Amino acid sequence: MNFLEYARVALEALRANRLRSALTMLGVIIGVAAVILLVSLGEGTKTYVENQFAGLGSNILIVTPGKIETKGGPPIIGAAKHKLTLSDSRILEKRGYLFHGVAPVVFGTAEVRSGSRSRNVPVLGVTPSFSAVRNLHVEIGTFVTGSDVEAKRRVCVLGRTVKRELFGNANALGRIVKVSGSRFRVVGIMQNKGVSLGIDLDDIVFVPVRTAQDIFDTDALLEILLSVRNKNDIESGKELAKSLLFKNHNRHEDFTITNQAAMLSSLYTILDTLTYVLGGIATISLLVGGIGIMNIMLVTVKERTNEIGIRKAVGARERDILVQFLLESTALSSSGGIGGMFFGVAGAWGIRLLFPKIPVVVPTWAIVLAFTFSVFVGIFFGVYPARKAASLNPIEALRYE
Amino acid sequence: MESAPASEPLLLLRGVTKIYEPDGQEVVGLEGVDLDIRSGDFLAVMGPSGSGKSTLMNILGCLDIPTSGSYKIKGMPVARLSPEELARLRNREIGFVFQVFHLLPRYTALRNVELPLLYAGVGREERTERAGEALRAVGILDRRNHLSNQLSGGQKQKVAIARALVNRPSLLLADEPTGNLDTKSGDELMEILVRLNREGTTIVLVTHDQTIARRARNVVYIIDGRLVAKEDFRELRG
Repeated sequence: MNFLEYARVALEALRANRLRSALTMLGVIIGVAAVILLVSLGEGTKTYVENQFAGLGSNILIVTPGKIETKGGPPIIGAAKHKLTLSDSRILEKRGYLFHGVAPVVFGTAEVRSGSRSRNVPVLGVTPSFSAVRNLHVEIGTFVTGSDVEAKRRVCVLGRTVKRELFGNANALGRIVKVSGSRFRVVGIMQNKGVSLGIDLDDIVFVPVRTAQDIFDTDALLEILLSVRNKNDIESGKELAKSLLFKNHNRHEDFTITNQAAMLSSLYTILDTLTYVLGGIATISLLVGGIGIMNIMLVTVKERTNEIGIRKAVGARERDILVQFLLESTALSSSGGIGGMFFGVAGAWGIRLLFPKIPVVVPTWAIVLAFTFSVFVGIFFGVYPARKAASLNPIEALRYE
Repeated sequence: MESAPASEPLLLLRGVTKIYEPDGQEVVGLEGVDLDIRSGDFLAVMGPSGSGKSTLMNILGCLDIPTSGSYKIKGMPVARLSPEELARLRNREIGFVFQVFHLLPRYTALRNVELPLLYAGVGREERTERAGEALRAVGILDRRNHLSNQLSGGQKQKVAIARALVNRPSLLLADEPTGNLDTKSGDELMEILVRLNREGTTIVLVTHDQTIARRARNVVYIIDGRLVAKEDFRELRG
């Protein structure tokens, strides 16, 4: 008996019980679609995060005030300096031979006004090196210069969004804006950068760092960004920065140095794990679909006991019966798999259309894996019913009504 | 009369015994049956229900294997065959006709008749051709595209005979073939069987109906699993 004949018999049997076959397939469809959808969400999240960090180099160290890990007893009161100041960044600049750029950052929010238009935006106090370290560049005009910083000039560089909101399409260079009530001259407009980690990089105003300290009336820094000359020096750079700041802080380690690349790679590990966990959970529903197939195949074998008896009486071998029923269960699961592929990809597409902010990326491997697994499920859960059918005693099978 | 006895009978049973143990309790189905069936025979097996007729049929048809004794088809000892080889024997050497027809209800008459050819590995075109011939031989070629559950009892049984003969078996086994038919269809069916036998088909027919059995050339009687003489049979039946 040739394979096409088996396939024909299997398809006829499925067509004879349309609703039942469709419901059984639905179990597999949901399983495969769930695997594809959830893995796509996981992958999308990962891609999203990767894009967010794409602008950041892998050679960056971030110094923040305060100690994250607590060791030993509580700090002696008055002995610890809890702030990062410009003196720290000067030391790092002067003695940090491994560093390519040292960028102290002051952070605050302020109202920026031009004529009748105003907007509350983050204001970053920076030095010229910030541009290179964070990979953010001016499109028109100049960035904050060294002399701007030294002279505490009231100049500012506007992000794209700020420029558009305040000036529309009009030229902004050389115009005066009021930042927290003080007059600032616009010297540059930044390139379009988009959103990174939930911060709209285009909705920021940059001013010289010492000017920012004046506006916000502080000598504290938000952070100091360090870019290391050579990627391989990232660990020794971290040690160097640590020892320099340790000395400058009266031998207190009241600061934290974060390795951006290390942080990212552990984040990616977490996101990968997330994808696998989501896929794994979805796989359970595919297994449940497989149990549905087994269940319905057992019913089918029971219902068609007489048919099996007839086939055996006219010369069907056990193998013939086995293959016939295995093909039937596999046809169920693989057509469910194809349906699931369709609904999974369509669902991912739908999510992208309806909720553009939710990142969905359908990886080919997930489609192939989900489909292959569904076929495998059909074979695996079909074996027991098919063996049962094949091993029926023909006399009893013929007598069965 | 017309066929000279072959040196070896087609079917040879010696001391065939079948014991069932459905609930651990022994039930004797057949006991020490000796029987020779030669090529071209038309043998009727008579007996009341529960006498062991069906057991004998199942053993002759290789659906069941004797507990002891020997059964040879064309000299081949059946007891030593694997399930695979038994399936092959049923496919090539034996055709079944059952009281309740046992056709596949969703299949057309033609596809029902094709079924044994399918398991014999015959290609599609030849299958259709041979199944058509078999249907013509029993006179219902015109019903070939009817689903079997749309046919009358008599027509169903003719399809069943066509299916039994399509693979040109050595032996046709008919188990109460007229049991579910009206008198007219029954007579018609018996005429077909008689004609087939005249054309050379070996037939073993199981029945409890004296008038049906009379159409066969030889009759054996079975009671309580044993073959008995005709006189004893009458006596036992009262």
